[in-house]
Amino acid sequence: MSFITCRGLTFSYSPESRVVINGIDLEIEKGSYTAVLGHNGCGKSTLAKLMCGILLPTGGSVCVGGIDTADAERAYEVRRKCGMVFQNPDNQLVASIVEDDVAFAPENLGLPRGEIRRRVDEALATVDMSGYAKHSANKLSGGQKQRVAIAGVLAMGPECIIFDEATAMLDPTGRQEINAAMKRLNREMGLTVITITHYMSEAVEADRIIVMDHGAVAADGSPREIFSQVEKLKAISLSVPQVTELMYEMELDGFAMPRGILHAMEAADEIEKRAGGGKK
Amino acid sequence: MLKDVTFGQYYPGDSFLHRADARIKIIILIIYLVIALAAQSALAVALSAAFTLYLAVASHIKLRLLLKSVKPLIFVLVFTGIINLFFTAGSGEPLLQWKFITIYREGIRNAVIMLIRLVSLVLGSAVLISYTTNPIDLTDAIESLLSPLKKIKVPVHEFAMMMSIALKFIPTLIEETNKIISAQKARCADFESGNVFRRIKSLVPVLVPLFVSAIRRAEELADAMECRCYRGGEGRTKLKEMKTRPADWIFLLAAAAMCACVIFLNRVPVKEVFEFWKGMF
Ligand SMILES: Nc1ncnc2c1ncn2[C@@H]1O[C@H](COP(=O)(O)OP(=O)(O)O)[C@@H](O)[C@H]1O
Ligand SMILES: [Mg+2]
Repeated sequence: MSFITCRGLTFSYSPESRVVINGIDLEIEKGSYTAVLGHNGCGKSTLAKLMCGILLPTGGSVCVGGIDTADAERAYEVRRKCGMVFQNPDNQLVASIVEDDVAFAPENLGLPRGEIRRRVDEALATVDMSGYAKHSANKLSGGQKQRVAIAGVLAMGPECIIFDEATAMLDPTGRQEINAAMKRLNREMGLTVITITHYMSEAVEADRIIVMDHGAVAADGSPREIFSQVEKLKAISLSVPQVTELMYEMELDGFAMPRGILHAMEAADEIEKRAGGGKK
Repeated sequence: MLKDVTFGQYYPGDSFLHRADARIKIIILIIYLVIALAAQSALAVALSAAFTLYLAVASHIKLRLLLKSVKPLIFVLVFTGIINLFFTAGSGEPLLQWKFITIYREGIRNAVIMLIRLVSLVLGSAVLISYTTNPIDLTDAIESLLSPLKKIKVPVHEFAMMMSIALKFIPTLIEETNKIISAQKARCADFESGNVFRRIKSLVPVLVPLFVSAIRRAEELADAMECRCYRGGEGRTKLKEMKTRPADWIFLLAAAAMCACVIFLNRVPVKEVFEFWKGMF
């Protein structure tokens, strides 16, 4: 069953400026894990904001969990169902103390005090930050701040979370923490996860990859399908995972290699096979 | 210079002042300011100084931090002290007369009162509010105290929200300012030499990027808040309940009584009380 449905979606920031989203038809399945790729300025963030009802389509429609985002009366239902984690951890935390920040969304929803408390504790436990509830958010590391931001969205009780380059400003440790959290939310809690990223290693983890170019969908498929089209990705100035690149280069040099290899072990096996080995 | 900003700095702790309800503390702050400003006679000033001292001790805040809150005022203190000392004309014989300098008894008195008053004002409000009150509690308290104004369409919730966000972003913006200053210094910008005008002019390349980035931050924060279903104060609930304890009310009563005492002591002529007391024996 599809959770988010875009039909003939177009969008421009003002009537006289250029069209940023240019006719997108897309369905995101409930409980799926999708990565969105595309070079800077191709409209990824704009699409994400359209999907959680922060921006409204100038043409076509977006439906989230059966609700049209343009339906002004149910705008908050859409936002509650589909949360978003942004790039800069400093710019999305509202309060100075961790638990006050996580409580922001449930407070906005007007929930009773006991329920807010329960949700805050649960969300902090999910991202492994329970010990920091009373800490000052300013003094946390980037990865920790970003986990607090995830908890802040989780406390809202969403069915889908969109990560807009949420790992872009983090160090490798922080990036790992956030990727692990994303996977857990999808695999264990059954949330629909959409992640916008420039890291191919993160995209490989998803079930589905959507490649955007100039406000339209340029390619859509499983990581294996997408990364076997190396020429196409290069044409829109995107890179492929290192291993895939290696296989591609070997193929250009005349070795017949299968396309769409994503993991180092897989590649090693293939090379070993062709090296006529079998020695183990 | 930016390291010395103590405004909006909260030092978590478990003193009586930390636990007191923020609304009561704001009311006490107002009473406290009245006391510090109204005290005229020697006894009243002594009482108000004692109150300040009590607050400072009760807060369990380190002496170093207490002094830090007064430090930016040194210049003002010295200046007012000198003005009061030399330029108060007295009625009796001058205590000291040397060339154009004349010091009267009243001059010393005024200078001391003025110093006590200024230090009390700064130290007391720092200890009562900034140091011992969690910023969220403070803005919640302001919103709650001003809530009657909502009836006449004053945007009280919006004001409180703006204030709490401003407090949250002070450290971020200070850090950013320091980064920009370092970046400009690395490109040979000179902030330390030249006259006042040159120095002010040299700050322009710091302020422009700071404003640009602050506006970008604000836009992103607005998106993030909308994403989390923010829609103003209507129908909003709170995680933390504001609760007053009996001790808070006693504190408030004590402050009010102190205020009454100060106003009363202002009217009591010390000399006559002293004479009367001597006459008893
Ligand atoms: N608030 C805005 N107002 C006007 N134009 C914008 C705004 N935000 C983004 N754009 C433009 O829309 C295009 C797509 O931006 P964005 O969705 O942020 O791209 P991406 O996230 O893929 O890098 C860019 O050309 C950008 O200049
Ligand atoms: Mg973007």
